[in-house]
Amino acid sequence: MQPAGQWFESDPLWFKTAIFYEIHLRGFFDGTGDGHGDFRGLTEKLDYLQWLGIDVVWLLPMYPSPMRDGGYDIADFYGVHQDYGTMDDVRAFIEAAHERGIRVIADLVMNHTSSDHEWFQEARSSPGNAKRDWYVWSDDPTRYDQARIIFVDTETSNWTWDDKAGAYYWHRFFHHQPDLNYDNPEVQDAMIDVLRFWLDAGLDGFRLDAVPYLFERDETNCENLDETHDFLKRARVTVDAEYPDRVLLAEANQWPADVVEYFGEGDECHMAFHFPVMPRMFMALRREEATPILEILAQTPHIPDNCQWGLFLRNHDELTLEMVTDEERDYMYAEYAKDPRMKLNVGIRRRLAPLMDGGRDEIELLHAMLFSLPGSPVLYYGDEIAMGDNVYLGDRDGVRTPMQWTGDRNGGFSRADFAQLYAPPLMDPVYGYQAVNVEAQLRTPSSLLRWLRRFIALRKEHPVFGLGSFEALTPGNEKIFACVRTYEDDVVLCVHNLARSAQAVELDLSAYNGRRPVELFGRSRFPKIGELPYLLTLAPRGFFWFRLEVDDEPA
Amino acid sequence: MSLPDRIDGPLEEWVLKQRWFASKAREVASVNVLERVALSEDPPLALELVEARFQAGTHELYQLLPGEGDEAVRMLARLLGEEAQVGPVSFHGGLEPSGAIRAMGAEQSNSSIVFGEQQVLKVFRRVEPGVNPELEMLRFLSARGFGGVAALTGWYETSGEVMQATLGIMQEFVAEARDGWELALDDPLGTLARLPELGAATGEMHTVLAADPSDPAFAPEEPSMEALSLLTATIDEQIEQVFLDLPRDTPALAPILGRGEEIRDRLQLMSHVGVGGRLIRHHGDYHLGQTMLRDEGWTILDFEGEPARTLLERRRKRSPLRDVAGMLRSFAYAASASELLRGEPAPAGWQEQARQGFLDAYLETVDQSLLPAGRPATDKLLAIFELEKAVYELRYELNNRPDWVPIPVAGIARLLHEEVPT
Repeated sequence: MQPAGQWFESDPLWFKTAIFYEIHLRGFFDGTGDGHGDFRGLTEKLDYLQWLGIDVVWLLPMYPSPMRDGGYDIADFYGVHQDYGTMDDVRAFIEAAHERGIRVIADLVMNHTSSDHEWFQEARSSPGNAKRDWYVWSDDPTRYDQARIIFVDTETSNWTWDDKAGAYYWHRFFHHQPDLNYDNPEVQDAMIDVLRFWLDAGLDGFRLDAVPYLFERDETNCENLDETHDFLKRARVTVDAEYPDRVLLAEANQWPADVVEYFGEGDECHMAFHFPVMPRMFMALRREEATPILEILAQTPHIPDNCQWGLFLRNHDELTLEMVTDEERDYMYAEYAKDPRMKLNVGIRRRLAPLMDGGRDEIELLHAMLFSLPGSPVLYYGDEIAMGDNVYLGDRDGVRTPMQWTGDRNGGFSRADFAQLYAPPLMDPVYGYQAVNVEAQLRTPSSLLRWLRRFIALRKEHPVFGLGSFEALTPGNEKIFACVRTYEDDVVLCVHNLARSAQAVELDLSAYNGRRPVELFGRSRFPKIGELPYLLTLAPRGFFWFRLEVDDEPA
Repeated sequence: MSLPDRIDGPLEEWVLKQRWFASKAREVASVNVLERVALSEDPPLALELVEARFQAGTHELYQLLPGEGDEAVRMLARLLGEEAQVGPVSFHGGLEPSGAIRAMGAEQSNSSIVFGEQQVLKVFRRVEPGVNPELEMLRFLSARGFGGVAALTGWYETSGEVMQATLGIMQEFVAEARDGWELALDDPLGTLARLPELGAATGEMHTVLAADPSDPAFAPEEPSMEALSLLTATIDEQIEQVFLDLPRDTPALAPILGRGEEIRDRLQLMSHVGVGGRLIRHHGDYHLGQTMLRDEGWTILDFEGEPARTLLERRRKRSPLRDVAGMLRSFAYAASASELLRGEPAPAGWQEQARQGFLDAYLETVDQSLLPAGRPATDKLLAIFELEKAVYELRYELNNRPDWVPIPVAGIARLLHEEVPT
């Protein structure tokens, strides 16, 4: 067994109370001065991440790649892209992160490789090649025609003809990303060896990209098949047996009832993203009512005790609208993508702050709701300082611009010439680096960054948010999203006002009769709860979090 | 004798009343043994990792050594001498301490046993995963021939189901020496004369700690561009927190009451200093009580860092001026304690002279590349660290020793009145 790492207590469920922070390595910090972020640069910023209080860094793919899909087109699973450094740099980074109590997980694409991968180059070379059967070939481009096309803006079919191979190959994403053939046991073994290689290098787990699509079967939509779950369970057995305290986080952009299948009986993935709740938080805010959130939570099945949801507001992809109804999608586009350039595939390619029109109250409220839900929050780099986006950059690059560290040249991201940068930093008057940067916000006590750090620290003091039960309250005032979280002796009440106007709400807290709400931030004591409905008034877009304390003193 | 542990009655009650139990103010939900290793049958001696679980569901872990009689303590000594491996617990050093045993008095977070006035074994009570900084620091300084420490002679650690952690260390006992704190109170003028020596020893210690770029745990680092902003943001938050809870009815607080914003502005002003110097491993909890004076010179003790901070924080590299600030604050304490404890005011100007004597010698001795460029930048950074320390002291004294509140208050007020060096 590989040791769990000398800087951590053994805890197979550590991920349930963790706060994740997603990093686009290329855009975080350039330690070598060549215009691209890299591992050395990231290592330099670990003090910042430790200060912020996050528990886990999630890295987007860092493997050798032709970079036609942001590195999700992997050309070699056993190395690191030259722009990012060397394997020694990766190991040094992981060790330095661990020494600060920060764990590291990385994206791994199991479903496909880049067409540049030597496996594919061999496979296409001749029908008799030993690697031929590592990919999915066909003479008939109508096979598996019930499978939807995911990148509808760029791809017209899931099959692409390859002259050299003399056959069509299968791909669920871009045509330069051929799907691996998981029906071939050699492929399964090879990918499990890839997991081992990176866990040996010190990684604490993986975010498994695009897991629903590993297998293909006739007369199905080729998603969430039993065979896919069987393979993931096999991967889990290997990880549990050889590497304690690691995590597998599934990316399955599916409805909750389908996603829970990825937890198995607690014997498949440890975590999975809850995709559908995300757009509904944005919807709830615009409509000023809690109903969309309450509905999706009601539809979310229970998950095994040793599993956890990953929850997020924004990430490196578009704000996906696949898991909403057509009507809801139209509503979201109308409200949040007024410029058609903001739409991409089935979603909206914008960052959190511009989506909120820069509204500080709204950004705080969304974080409060995110942190109150049962799951582990996943933050996206730059959102902690309310960074903006650039809709004039192609694909999803507009939400992957350089991190804004200071008001100096290149936003403090790189010492390279501006022209050398992988992407221009934001320079507009509202979200540009001169207005929005880490240094300025560190120096401003009332900044979003300083607020978020305190909020992260607060959440971490209360494991109830990661481990506790969740009970949504349904007060008469639908503009209020309120819930009670309970874990052991800790009972926490979270009340959020979705409206742009001040609201009063009467909450039925009779189950907590005799307890006293104590506000978590300022430790103010509120009147004791009695038999009658408990009245609270909230500022526009305001929220309160209380601990409901046992209190023998009179009201 | 503080060891072995004789647990009479329920475990929870026993743990909660121990001096080393750190979280007396928190509500404990339960106390449980997570891992038990039988170190010896006869005499009976075991090692237990015990969890104190708080109401919110967080926990702290402690080391217990249940056993009976002095023979159990001798057994620990024998295991160190034999470099034994018992289950997940390994003992190192190869030296079996002997002679009469006694407990070391006035212990807070740990338990120490002195063997024959020659060796002292320190058992860490609060246990966190990772290498304890005291082990790392003593090993590093002893190996590089720094004379100002008592050499490391052994240690034991666990690599069990719960975690990997250092459990205890053994080092030479500093005999016939006087505690720096006691000395400053008993003989302020005599101490004053020896403080330049202490400043020089401190400078030398920092120079040695920064001397090995090949050891990743000790290699000096350049501060990142936001290092100072992170530091001041953290201190600013601490000031805000302390002032949030400041009682309104304590006369001793009068000089700073309602001046929280002013102090935070002052901090901002002081933080306008270029990033400079280097970050190194340092003592971490440096004050007169951590020093001993012998005829041969000063010996520096207790490299664990501030007990209230996590092990990961205590291992972080920071400017060596943080230690210097700790010692300067300690002089303020000594000057006031003379009156508080002995009813005798310190000699006029003692604190100022102590500061100057120590600081001049330190700045002359220490590797200059560790300091920010120029005296004004050094003074500013030092003032920031002194403020950090004073704010920490204020919180501690308010909770523990209300009579001592005026000392940090004076330290904070002093910074308000001083010119900010430019």
